[in-house]
Amino acid sequence: MHVTMLYKVIMEMDAWKSQLRKGAAELAVLALLADEERSGIGLLDELAARPEIGLSDGSIYPLLNRMEREGRIAGQWQTPPEGGRGQKIYKLTRSGRTALSQMRAAWNGFKSQLSALVGETR
Amino acid sequence: MSNDNRIDEYMRDLDDALRPLGDRDRNDIMAEIRAHLDHRAGEGRLDEALRALGSPAHCARGFLDELKIQAAFADGGPGKSVGALFEFASRRIAAAAGLFVSGVFFLFAIAFAIIAVTEIVAPNAVGLWIDPARDIFVLGVVDIGDDPPKEVLGGWMIPLAAALSLLSLLAGQGLARIFIRLMAQKRNLLTA
Repeated sequence: MHVTMLYKVIMEMDAWKSQLRKGAAELAVLALLADEERSGIGLLDELAARPEIGLSDGSIYPLLNRMEREGRIAGQWQTPPEGGRGQKIYKLTRSGRTALSQMRAAWNGFKSQLSALVGETR
Repeated sequence: MSNDNRIDEYMRDLDDALRPLGDRDRNDIMAEIRAHLDHRAGEGRLDEALRALGSPAHCARGFLDELKIQAAFADGGPGKSVGALFEFASRRIAAAAGLFVSGVFFLFAIAFAIIAVTEIVAPNAVGLWIDPARDIFVLGVVDIGDDPPKEVLGGWMIPLAAALSLLSLLAGQGLARIFIRLMAQKRNLLTA
């Protein structure tokens, strides 16, 4: 009984974390691309040190594909000067910068209010 | 099997799984995944990369689902919404329920549109007949039989049926969108 309940709590926590990460993933990509243009690999390598954000090889490319279609980022194929296979390099568009600015403001407000709330009730 | 052969095999299966997309979209996705796998193979991390991408079908589904949801919201038309629900219905019971409920409203929309048009071209074949004494309440395109009660609506049937058709269409579309949104959230819960 106790094991079942523990398993249920873990599953619910995983679902909650996934939901939390879903909106954060796009903000993380926008923020990283605001620093510099990057490929999907470049983004993944940068995010590898931050596993809690939860972007993986399997989830980042559909996300980049959608963000490009929405016009928030623009991708361009570039071949390295030394030759070899090219990579699609992404950069923020004007719409992406606007979205980042709005999402960052919303995130900061959310974070400070939730931190205050969670801190108060602990 | 060499790394190149493993990547070629994965890409062939991914190409098949991405068939629903147009050539341009498919080629773009294929090129990027290929570049990703080549890069990881060069780092000696091909196994890890293939594991992280999942099967070609799973990888393709990530792109297809994103595109279908985006298209359904961007277009807003009932055709694309129902199309998206059909896609999800194959995998989600809730979407099948959504398809059924919104489908009923779309059928009502079609039925009321037919009534409105029939009132114009064959007014005697359509109407609202009410006779409480004989327990009769009939609305639509019907053969009311001998000794029918008086038809109630007359020419008002046209605007009424048109309005009901529009309302049913909007209700069906609204429900379809709600279910698509629910499915999108559920998919993200499962795959994020």
